[in-house]
Amino acid sequence: MQHDEEATARRLLIQLARLGDLVQSLPAFASLTARYPHRSLDLLCPAPLTDLAGLFPEVGRVLKWNGAQWHVWADSFVGEFQPSWLREVEEYLAELTTEPYKMAYVLNHHPRAILAGTLLATEVQGSNLYGPLDEELSPWALYLRHVAQTRGSNRIHLSDTFCGLCGVTPPPAPPLLLLPSNDLPGDLAEVGISAGQWIAVVVGAGDADRSIPVAVWIEWISTVLAHDSPCAVVLVGTERDQTTALAIQDGLSPMIAGRLWDATGRTTLPQLATLLKRCHWAVGADTGPLHLATAVGTNAMGFYFSRARVHETGPYGQGHWVWQADHALPATWPIRPSVALLLDPGIASQQEPVAGWSLWQSHHDEWGAIFRPMGGRGPQEDQRATVWHQLSEQRLSLQGVQ
Amino acid sequence: MNSFEANVSRLAQSDPALAAALRQSGGGTLEIVPARTGMPSARANGRWIHSAYDPIKEAQAWAEGQSHQEGETIVVFGVGLLYQVEALCARLPRTASVVLVVPDLSVLADAAAARTWGDWIGRVSWAWGTTEAISEQIADAGHPLRLVTYAPAAALHADSHRAIETALQRRVAVQAGGQLRIAVVGPIYGGSLPITRYAVSALESLGHQVRCLDHSVHATSYHQLELLKNSQHRLALQSKYAEMLSRVTMAQLAEDPPDLVLSLAQAPLILPMLEHLRRKRFLTAMWFVENYRHLTYWQQLAAGYDFWFVIQQAPCIAALKQAGAKEVRYLPMAADPSVHRPLELTQVEREEYGSDVSFVGAGYANRREIFPRLLGHDWTFKLWGNEWDGAADLTSVLQRNGARIDTDTCQKVFNASAVNLNLHSWAGTGLDPEGDFVNPRTFELAACGAFQLTDRRSLLPDVLTADEVATVSSPDELPAEITRWLREPEQRVAMAAQARQRVLAEHTYAHRMRDLLSQIGVASPDRIGSILRGDRQAEALASTAADPFPSLASTLRTFPSTQRVELKHLAAQIRSRGPMGTLSREDLMVLMLDEYRSETKDLV
Repeated sequence: MQHDEEATARRLLIQLARLGDLVQSLPAFASLTARYPHRSLDLLCPAPLTDLAGLFPEVGRVLKWNGAQWHVWADSFVGEFQPSWLREVEEYLAELTTEPYKMAYVLNHHPRAILAGTLLATEVQGSNLYGPLDEELSPWALYLRHVAQTRGSNRIHLSDTFCGLCGVTPPPAPPLLLLPSNDLPGDLAEVGISAGQWIAVVVGAGDADRSIPVAVWIEWISTVLAHDSPCAVVLVGTERDQTTALAIQDGLSPMIAGRLWDATGRTTLPQLATLLKRCHWAVGADTGPLHLATAVGTNAMGFYFSRARVHETGPYGQGHWVWQADHALPATWPIRPSVALLLDPGIASQQEPVAGWSLWQSHHDEWGAIFRPMGGRGPQEDQRATVWHQLSEQRLSLQGVQ
Repeated sequence: MNSFEANVSRLAQSDPALAAALRQSGGGTLEIVPARTGMPSARANGRWIHSAYDPIKEAQAWAEGQSHQEGETIVVFGVGLLYQVEALCARLPRTASVVLVVPDLSVLADAAAARTWGDWIGRVSWAWGTTEAISEQIADAGHPLRLVTYAPAAALHADSHRAIETALQRRVAVQAGGQLRIAVVGPIYGGSLPITRYAVSALESLGHQVRCLDHSVHATSYHQLELLKNSQHRLALQSKYAEMLSRVTMAQLAEDPPDLVLSLAQAPLILPMLEHLRRKRFLTAMWFVENYRHLTYWQQLAAGYDFWFVIQQAPCIAALKQAGAKEVRYLPMAADPSVHRPLELTQVEREEYGSDVSFVGAGYANRREIFPRLLGHDWTFKLWGNEWDGAADLTSVLQRNGARIDTDTCQKVFNASAVNLNLHSWAGTGLDPEGDFVNPRTFELAACGAFQLTDRRSLLPDVLTADEVATVSSPDELPAEITRWLREPEQRVAMAAQARQRVLAEHTYAHRMRDLLSQIGVASPDRIGSILRGDRQAEALASTAADPFPSLASTLRTFPSTQRVELKHLAAQIRSRGPMGTLSREDLMVLMLDEYRSETKDLV
């Protein structure tokens, strides 16, 4: 009987960070769904991402975390706290759920997410061991902090760490979002229809220091479109990226007319997912849309620099490519090698080393994602099985203590 | 039964004394004229009190524009034909209290005769009689009060309303027990810099928590810009510098948001920053201790501040309102008795700083023209201060080669002089024909117990009488008046003593700051008013929390009962329970709100 209750208990996954983190939570979501197949898993995420969260396979309710409203409440409380005003907050929380969840899985090591979990569920599993006022981290959260400080190769990928935080192992195969048929606006309806390679170029990034310079994009796209094989480029990004997209187009030859589409700021997130699905490749920095492309089954090629590290947040799945810069601010960019690789992946094994960059390819096995080097670098030690065993034992021992 | 009888009979049920007084009172103040819609409208002194087309619709539009918070009593200024009161009653919840101020029964008699009132009249309380009686009735109606004005009708009794409002403010000031957190933004340099310090000190003496955002530390850099010869470059860079300091101010405010931002004239806060502060619900006030006719930058800032306090009356207030200021109040200058005080001077000091006649101040045009007339008499004359370059005929009396005089020296001169001249500055010759405001020196001299001979100012009689300060109305009178007062040392001492007593009783910066806060408190009953009343103190908050949130109430009761408690204090108290502390649902909500509160980057 107790086992039945456990299997059918209401559970909630909490991911309050940005698009890229939500998409990278998909493996943990899939593993939890597989572990508890008798009751669908609900998902709490920021309000602007709820439409996308609705595409998670077998998701139950998607709860909307209204950060803007919390800011308004917090502002109104500054200097003039009124207990009665908490009623409005209470009503909002009741709209999310009238009964507390049995378990909340909190994927962010942030007080808001931990507090949200404690408000909405009777038990919380995630980064903190003993609740919102406790700073003692769980074994998986300690591991995350450790690798953030020490870096190193072939560690456990962020998506798989999320699985660890939730007490599940990575899914046997990289999961995909369930895409309904989405109409694309205007000329974007043509994307992916004609023959040739369709390449989505993610022009922006959440942080300015992770953005690929406009001049690099101009050269990269010019090189792609100058190639003999037929191909087309779709610029993707948010409304904020429209200026960058225009600057890129200004720098391109007028001869590329009819081979470049600008989708920046013109799509909802589900439409963006559809757009990426229609492309053969997505190329860009470590960004939400690049991860979204992998979650709809599109090949990804990432340029990782600044604070981005392939082993932590490389594109999840099988067969993606990552160019990892040796320095935060690359002096040169692997434009021709990357274009050549994208248009003819068969040449990967003959790839010449590029100064200042290393090339990595993604793989997936029972321990989740792993990236292996190309171009002459020696085999890397795979620490994942050891780490999984150690952390699982620590977790079990803590559960025993509790 | 006619309208008057029907209305007064109805009124007698709730306020028989008012009904009886109305029967005794004659009407005739309002001229009743039918509006286009056929409803009665009214005029007084040739001006319409209500719309000539549709008084009901107009009143409804006015009522829509009035804000109201749960639990407040609405006090209406402006009687007219009560259309606005009817509209307000229709808009407010039935539990809201409405008090109508009736400074003149004849207007209410006209209103009673003009049309029959509906059931809404039963919701109205009446405040009538003397100013004190009215303010007492309003105070008895229950707090917090929100004052609203139906301007066309209120204009008929503007003086009475002002007096009532002042009486209410005094009550707020007397009751004020809550501690405000106030950020005072000072100028980079100039005459308002010492005033900033006096204001800070006064606010602290009233028990408030004050943070002075002192921009005088940037004065050296700012003065470097003044050395640039290219005026285009100089102006552009000075503007950029002011903008940068404005951003610095924003960052400082963001770190510890106050209840009130009080700027003194020349404070480096530009309009876009003030607008941003308003969006973030900061309450701002400016004490413009300048002559609005000379320094006109207020035109660009008028709409930015929530409250303006000025040292000039009607024309200045009207000009600021015309430029977009919402609330403009008169707040004259003052003295700080801890700085401006009688001093025991040594013989050496008396010789250095003393003279029969003295003046301390800058070399404005009118003073350069007047002071040479004071040379060559049988008294000693010493002139102190800077900006006297080129005044060759005054070289013999100019002290310290025209060096700037610090505050300490100034007090010594005041104390050591028999007759302190106090000529207000003006860019023309003679005395300022529009001279209205009273300068700080007037109050400072009085606070020192020093005798002064000042030029006549239209606002002087409001603050000091002829028994307290001697005046001249023309430069020509100066030599004779100086001679006269030098011959009457005992009367000089007596007048100076009276002036000092008056300043200590009514004109210190503490008085001004108390007035300023009580005026803001009355105008914003749900914010500053509520803090001053103590509604934000632990015990008051615990009482309101007890029913819906008992655990929160018990946390609030862990604070000293009169301590002001804010969200951050409450959150800190909850966190102090330690990692294993038990958290209630409301504790978690408070912690979550505090997480969002602590994000200040969007302000900057």
